[in-house]
Amino acid sequence: MRRILAQTRKELIQILRDRLALALVLVLPVCILLLLGSSIALTVSHLPIIVQDFDDSSISRELVDVFRASTSLYVTSWPTDRQPQDAFMTNKARAALIIPEHFGRDVLRKQSSPVQFLVDGSDSNTASLVAGYATAIVNAYNAIHSGATSPQPVQAQIRLWYNPGLSSKKYSGPGVFVLAMSMFAPLLASLAMAKEGEKKTILQVYVSSISAHEFLLGKILAFTLVGLAECVPLLVLLHFYFGLSFVGDPSSFFVATVLYSFCVAAFGIMVGAAIPSRVAAMQMVALGGFLLVFLLSGLIFPIDNIPIQIRWISNLVWGKHYIYVVRDAFLQGGGWPSTWLEVLIIGFTGLVFYTLAWRTMRRMQVKA
Amino acid sequence: MKRLFNHRFLALIQKEFAQIRRDRRIAMSLILPPVLQLMLFGFVLNSKVQNLRLGVIDESRTPESRELIARLSESESFRLTSYYLSPDALTDAITHGKAQAGLIVPYDYARNLQRGRQANVQFLLNAMDANTATIARTYAQSVIASYSANLQSSGLHAEFSQIAVPDVGRRGRVDLQPSFLYNPGLVASWFSVTGVLGLLCILNGSLVASATMVKEREAGTLEQLLMSPADTSEIVLAKIVPLFLLLCMMALFAIGIMRVVFHVPFHGSFMLVFAGAALCLLSGIGIGTFIATFTQSAEQAQLTSFFVNPPMSSLSGALTPMEAMPHWMQPLAKFNPIYHFGVICRASMLKGSGIETLWPNFLALLVFTVILVSLSVWRFRKQLG
Repeated sequence: MRRILAQTRKELIQILRDRLALALVLVLPVCILLLLGSSIALTVSHLPIIVQDFDDSSISRELVDVFRASTSLYVTSWPTDRQPQDAFMTNKARAALIIPEHFGRDVLRKQSSPVQFLVDGSDSNTASLVAGYATAIVNAYNAIHSGATSPQPVQAQIRLWYNPGLSSKKYSGPGVFVLAMSMFAPLLASLAMAKEGEKKTILQVYVSSISAHEFLLGKILAFTLVGLAECVPLLVLLHFYFGLSFVGDPSSFFVATVLYSFCVAAFGIMVGAAIPSRVAAMQMVALGGFLLVFLLSGLIFPIDNIPIQIRWISNLVWGKHYIYVVRDAFLQGGGWPSTWLEVLIIGFTGLVFYTLAWRTMRRMQVKA
Repeated sequence: MKRLFNHRFLALIQKEFAQIRRDRRIAMSLILPPVLQLMLFGFVLNSKVQNLRLGVIDESRTPESRELIARLSESESFRLTSYYLSPDALTDAITHGKAQAGLIVPYDYARNLQRGRQANVQFLLNAMDANTATIARTYAQSVIASYSANLQSSGLHAEFSQIAVPDVGRRGRVDLQPSFLYNPGLVASWFSVTGVLGLLCILNGSLVASATMVKEREAGTLEQLLMSPADTSEIVLAKIVPLFLLLCMMALFAIGIMRVVFHVPFHGSFMLVFAGAALCLLSGIGIGTFIATFTQSAEQAQLTSFFVNPPMSSLSGALTPMEAMPHWMQPLAKFNPIYHFGVICRASMLKGSGIETLWPNFLALLVFTVILVSLSVWRFRKQLG
């Protein structure tokens, strides 16, 4: 035990001496959370649209005013003699509302009057959002002016749970928190481990009295602590900038956070032990820590949308389970009953990484 | 110009090519990232709302209620997973992620419909993912509305329409007809792949460039180069040119993947996209060289690039719409080559715009490229001198 702690102390001293590394674990995660957390969102509002009103009657202007009043779309001016496509080409507008001639006359004659809504489909998700917003606006207009008295026979009462304001910050914040946690501590861990291999200081470890278990545990403990230290400013930011706080019992979140820090630290150590080259080890961690967690863990896009052939991979991505726990702690509040399996998986993955690291260490010891 | 293409310069270029050929890591990083990243991002980044798991409580158990449930589950967006007996069970299922949406049909649903009263159903959505919830809400509303409209016409609801107030003095309905230009099928990968190409050019360009630039210093062969009769700008340019050529091949390869695997249409001119990619690559190389002049080893160069790449890629609008950024951040994107290339790539490939609309973006890219490359050459020369 004393030897483990001595190893941990040595690692922590080494980290404290490296200014670049220190900035990497303490400053960069906060920057990333601020930047990515607030810019990676899909639910966008305040989108520009243009209106071409060929009718120019009081009725058509009334319809345009309803669009103007909406918070999700805003109307920018566009001359009627220019093609709406020109606005899409120069990215001036996301959609165009085209009101035909005689629109006002037809409406007053109680005929159903079509208006065209052209949507720039090059960004498919935003396009379906814009079309949805416009449909809702026109439905509201119709309800006021033409059909409020013919109520729908079936009325859907829609309740939005856990995030009633539909704020995408609350969704992306926890995701980016997990991304930052899965990246920087293992990066440093793999660098420290690969450095021992590169500089051959590992040979000194072999001839010392420390065993492979003690050596690995000491290193992993150090980077687990680094991960937990990194977690503190991130949680403060999540609370004050993203407006998230614990709902329900946070104990499973804390257990999962400790286990996850251990898990990613063990991942970094394993990579560093297997690849005794700092640059290559770093690329490996970037691939595992960033690309896998970014893409295959449901950070921005739902996992259910991943093609089924590669969806199973996401179950092996450790970040996916932790994201679930974090979102549960901050949004759903399910507590232990809904997260115990994820917590177990995170702990198990950490053990697997540890065992793999230990096996490579043993092999190296025989070779040396 | 004539001085540049002399014998010495060509020899230096030949040396660089030989070095790159022998370094398997660089060759790998020219082929692997475009394939891996384009494929992963293209297939995985799909925001389409489909197959949401729907849990149902059907207290009515009548043909009418089953008809409504069938309508919802036969649409592409919802997939019926299981029936629940009590609201508690459904709540638990939504909290534990077994269901993402829930429909509760009350016991008097069919009776109300038959008597011509309005029937209420409750629709629960797990809104943690705001985007999915926004779109799913629209879908659910429109499915239920079209079901209602059919009820009115099917005669079941003859009484209902009689009860409704006659529409004397009312106006006609406005009928919104949305149509999607440029991507009528709303294929999500067309958006993500065209954005990823810019990320690929900048990130990979800077990575490969900083690796090759730093290598000479790490190996300690920089002094030998300086002793040779070549002058410093020749050395730097001889390092940039082969990299640029190879990265251009990578970009061509990536564009090929976009065309063949993802069937991204090519409405505009190919040369326009390629010219944009070339400028993007050059600014990527400029960034990489610039980082390399500040660092002593490949490790440091890579660590430093962690400070540069995430802001560059997240403030680019490459993967998510620009409007998602906070307002004060949006102008920053104008200083980002990835943003301008994304605009060029999407406009040219999907919308078929030409240089007459895209010239501001080209101009911006050109300015960045000139600044970045000359800045890095200047730093490099200063260090060598």
